[in-house]
Amino acid sequence: MRTHSLRRSKLAALPAGALAAAIAGVLALPTSASAQADAGAPDKAKLEKVHPSKPGYSPYAGRTFPTLPLFGDTHLHTSYSLDAGAFGARLTPKDAYRFARGEEITSNTGQPVKLSRPLDFLVVADHSDGMGFFPQLMGGDPEVLATPQGRKWYDQIKGGQGAEAAMDIIASFSGNKMPKGFPTPGTPAYRNAWQETIKAAEAYNEPGRFTAFIGYEWTAGGSSNLHRNVVFRGNGAQAGLVEPFTTLPPLGSGDPVDLWKWMAATEQKTGTEVLAIAHNGNVSNGLMFPVVETFGKKLDRDYVQTRARWEPLYEVTQTKGTGEAHPFLSPNDEFANFELWDKGNLDGTATKAKDMLEFEYARSALKNGLKLEEQLGTNPYKFGMIGSSDAHNGLAALEEDNFFGKTAPQEPSPERMTKAFIDNQKTGVKVMDWEVGASGYAAVWATENTREAIFDAMKRRETYATTGPRMAVRFFGGWDFTPADANNRMPAVIGYAKGVPMGGDLKSAPQGKSPTFLVAALKDAIGANLDRIQVVKGWVDKEGKTQERVYDVAVSGGRKIEADGRAKAPVGNTVDIENATWANSIGAPELITVWKDPQFDARQRAFYYARVIEIPTPRWTAYDAKRFGIKPLPGTTMVLQERAYTAPIWYTP
Amino acid sequence: MRWLREPLVQFLLIGAVLFVVFDLRGGAAGGGQRIVVTPGQVDAVAAGFRRTWNRPPNEQELKAQLDEYVREEIAVREAVALGLDRDDTVIRRRLRQKFEFAAEDAFEATPPTDAELQAHLDTYPDNFRTEARLSLRQVHLGPQRGHALQDDARQMLERLQAAGPDTDIRTLGDSRLLPASLENTALGEVARIFGDEFAGALLKAEPGRWVGPVRSGYGLHVVIVDGREGGQLPALADVRPLVERDFLAGRRQRALDAMYERLLARYPVVIERRSRATAAPASAAAAEPAR
Repeated sequence: MRTHSLRRSKLAALPAGALAAAIAGVLALPTSASAQADAGAPDKAKLEKVHPSKPGYSPYAGRTFPTLPLFGDTHLHTSYSLDAGAFGARLTPKDAYRFARGEEITSNTGQPVKLSRPLDFLVVADHSDGMGFFPQLMGGDPEVLATPQGRKWYDQIKGGQGAEAAMDIIASFSGNKMPKGFPTPGTPAYRNAWQETIKAAEAYNEPGRFTAFIGYEWTAGGSSNLHRNVVFRGNGAQAGLVEPFTTLPPLGSGDPVDLWKWMAATEQKTGTEVLAIAHNGNVSNGLMFPVVETFGKKLDRDYVQTRARWEPLYEVTQTKGTGEAHPFLSPNDEFANFELWDKGNLDGTATKAKDMLEFEYARSALKNGLKLEEQLGTNPYKFGMIGSSDAHNGLAALEEDNFFGKTAPQEPSPERMTKAFIDNQKTGVKVMDWEVGASGYAAVWATENTREAIFDAMKRRETYATTGPRMAVRFFGGWDFTPADANNRMPAVIGYAKGVPMGGDLKSAPQGKSPTFLVAALKDAIGANLDRIQVVKGWVDKEGKTQERVYDVAVSGGRKIEADGRAKAPVGNTVDIENATWANSIGAPELITVWKDPQFDARQRAFYYARVIEIPTPRWTAYDAKRFGIKPLPGTTMVLQERAYTAPIWYTP
Repeated sequence: MRWLREPLVQFLLIGAVLFVVFDLRGGAAGGGQRIVVTPGQVDAVAAGFRRTWNRPPNEQELKAQLDEYVREEIAVREAVALGLDRDDTVIRRRLRQKFEFAAEDAFEATPPTDAELQAHLDTYPDNFRTEARLSLRQVHLGPQRGHALQDDARQMLERLQAAGPDTDIRTLGDSRLLPASLENTALGEVARIFGDEFAGALLKAEPGRWVGPVRSGYGLHVVIVDGREGGQLPALADVRPLVERDFLAGRRQRALDAMYERLLARYPVVIERRSRATAAPASAAAAEPAR
């Protein structure tokens, strides 16, 4: 007993930071957040400081801005999620954190699996409704088995049809038709699952090296997907003071307005901050980004302010499709047709109508947000973009050549390219397993790898989404960038000094000036070369109508950008589908440029974001076909161009 | 009376006693028993509400919660009386889970000793070794140089070797995004920026002298290693929490295995297999992977 207490005190005496410093050393950058430069004319003294006449030798000394993007996943489910368990997930939050930090583990189907390199952070975000092990959910209360649904699932699972049961559970949950007896906050079983989740994050959080966030998913909206991931800035002691907000009445609610109330109360109670990240508007059937009314209530000042307050980010790409843009909404954007899921709602119980799309995709939401800001004073859709997995098997494995699927049955096997993921006979909505995307990750420009620094970067929207690769992308906006700035060897120094980073704001244009942007991308160290960088502009015109335009601003291979701002020639294609290989003989390892908006009107609200496109590479389906020696179904996508989407920079007159 | 000490026998005896007591108190039928909701349970129900809404329930809300609670209690009693809990995969799994949770709690209750942790550290030094650290400068030459790339790189190497280690490289090279120098940087970080091949090559490079060309995913590099520190095995005191976490993860699995091994010895197991021809097809088990 005596030695025990002694040991504990020794442990406590170890300063948390010392360990991190020992391990991470150089990564531990100064903690002060980067000074986000004013939007107006650059301060001469500031520039003087950046370019002193006699620089010291080390160009890195004294700098306080983020120097390396951190990559992670904010949306990973484990066996604690009700549907994940039903699908056969066995891995727990602890396993998920171990895997994300680079350890080799055994997958749910018994296969050894390891990431090509560690991630920097992870949020295990299990569903708040019925959080806990799957058996706990269905078996914890015999009342469930007395219902026809419970009985049916029980028989299905017993009969080896766990995947069917899982789909049905998701459909029932989405339709708000869960049987009585569903576990709720306040019960010991529920509390236990939440405490285990917190414990796992606390055990694997290593400031300076790997950040394990505490979080959960609030899975609201029925079949229409209004889901949000809630992330805590603070530690386990703080998160443990509350239990996750659920969606089923009477304890929970499916209205985001009630989630925001819960978030406000939680911040008060815990003394730490929380934020929410919505995802999969693409299967919300027109409900994710409302512009007129929501839940039977007209959008008002209160709604737009509250949404803007709690939701700084949007998850734009994940396994269930990419939701940046849709060809129907952006007919002039030939890159808009990328990993789309546009056949129906979340569970395929309703088909998609074209007029829903405008309220589902990020770009149209960004545009409508400008209009709402004009009407109501606040832009509710002023979000930065991130990617994440939404994998339900505890494995954030989203590289095309190392894709472990969305669910346990979708882990690598000869069957996964030919089975159906959703097959609703009534509506005709059918989504095949091959349509599941190996996407994506969240990239964050944080000053150091800690919960606090990453959270703060998320709040100031200094983030971008990638569909899997880890390219480094810089995007700065200001009034005085000149072409010479693109030749500088420290573009970030110039960027922060003369402008604002992604997620920032430009206001009241100086007389006669147009916004200029310094944009740069460096390919993934082990990935494919880059095809091009584009800037996507959205604005509200004189008539009050929203507009958009895509500009190619830096292209590889000496191609010409025409007067209309486009490079029409494609980059080419080196993919050998049969052997699942490609060559970096086309494209460029890095692209950098300064771009000036050629059609700027200082009276019109606008946003600008960068889209970075890789050269074509084999999709996961090509690796599967090669490794398992199987023939893909006709129509299977085998090649893709991976990409990154930055948070926008907004201009407000 | 050695058999009396067997846990299974004790268990059966306790069960038998409970059965008799239960029978004396009114039989196994579900109906007719009193359901008493104690003040403590009322508090727990109210607390559950408060945890979600961050305010106490009003009288009406509390009543609704308590009604639900009573219904649940009735349902549980009736369902158990009907035997719905028996031979039920889901409930069996839940029991197994609770059993393993309880066992795990027991394992974790015994903190590992210093000797155990030291032994773990000695057995798996690679899990805890601090990374090698490098200080370096590099001049990058990109693939846009095409066929000239190799020659250009060789010329750059000669030029830098002639100029010496202290030459100013800030205007040299093609990349504007790759760092021209890294100071005291962990090997993993070097690999993260330039790739494994590059980092691996620099581990062997002679310090203080321009070398190359070194290949990376970005092209070729002429590099000088300004300093290198080997990885070290830290003392237990410096990495104790990490060793403990690693050790416990392993011990949990070993302890579970050992526990089942021990328990298995008490159960004669007979598996009666069907002959091959009549065996059920195995492919239906997609959702229930073997572990």
